[in-house]
Amino acid sequence: MDEWMKRCVQKVQEGDTDAFSEIVNAFKDRVYQISYRMLGNSQEAQDIAQEAFLRAYTNLSSYDPNRKFSTWLFRITTNLSIDKLRKRKPNYSLDAEVEGTEGLDGYSQLAAQDVLPDEQVVMLEWQASIQKEISALPPKYRAAIILKYMEDLSLQEMSEILNLPVATVKTHVHRGREALRKRLKKW
Amino acid sequence: MECFVSVNDIRRYFDGEMKQEERDQFYLHLPDCIKCQEHFEEVKKTIALTQSASHIEAPPAFTSKVMDNLPHKKPRRRWKT
Repeated sequence: MDEWMKRCVQKVQEGDTDAFSEIVNAFKDRVYQISYRMLGNSQEAQDIAQEAFLRAYTNLSSYDPNRKFSTWLFRITTNLSIDKLRKRKPNYSLDAEVEGTEGLDGYSQLAAQDVLPDEQVVMLEWQASIQKEISALPPKYRAAIILKYMEDLSLQEMSEILNLPVATVKTHVHRGREALRKRLKKW
Repeated sequence: MECFVSVNDIRRYFDGEMKQEERDQFYLHLPDCIKCQEHFEEVKKTIALTQSASHIEAPPAFTSKVMDNLPHKKPRRRWKT
């Protein structure tokens, strides 16, 4: 994967634009998942995920091929998502309800062919509820929880993505987990 | 029984920072302490719920939308000397 990715990046750097579509295909789900989980809304998530790839493309010369490509890409995605959250109007949180339920759109894209319609509905609602709880976390804890438990990344990778010392990342995971624990108690 | 376990100990358990003997002690303590049992189960549930929610896919035609928006003329050929 890493060697293949290196070759793709090199091809794009040499002017082969089409090779970039391979990179997008390889990472689109994970990039979309990060932005969706951060923003809790499929339209914004799509905009940010697209923007992340666009930035990666235009800044490819600043990517250091000795490092993991995904780390660099996820860093762009996380930064864009946090910026987007900051730019939201202060009263946006009043729409938290909407933010949670809007997830239903996003989940209609879930691969769930084998699931019966009724079960599917229950699953969508349940997924939307989890997203609502995640959206209630402060952005820095939210990012830590998403990268650790949804993207299954190591603390070292998280530290590079979030540009924070490992010890701080650990604290953020812990605080996010504790906040979620209290919110999920009633489940 | 007196409880010697702190929130930080439980964090260390879940972050894999406990030594084997500490973990053994912790397991021995759990059945005797409702407070720790509850906290432990709740963290486990939190992690499981979060992990289980982690399968979203990008919307259809995502890649072609990205490709359509690339600044095609820009890098094209790098300067060759």
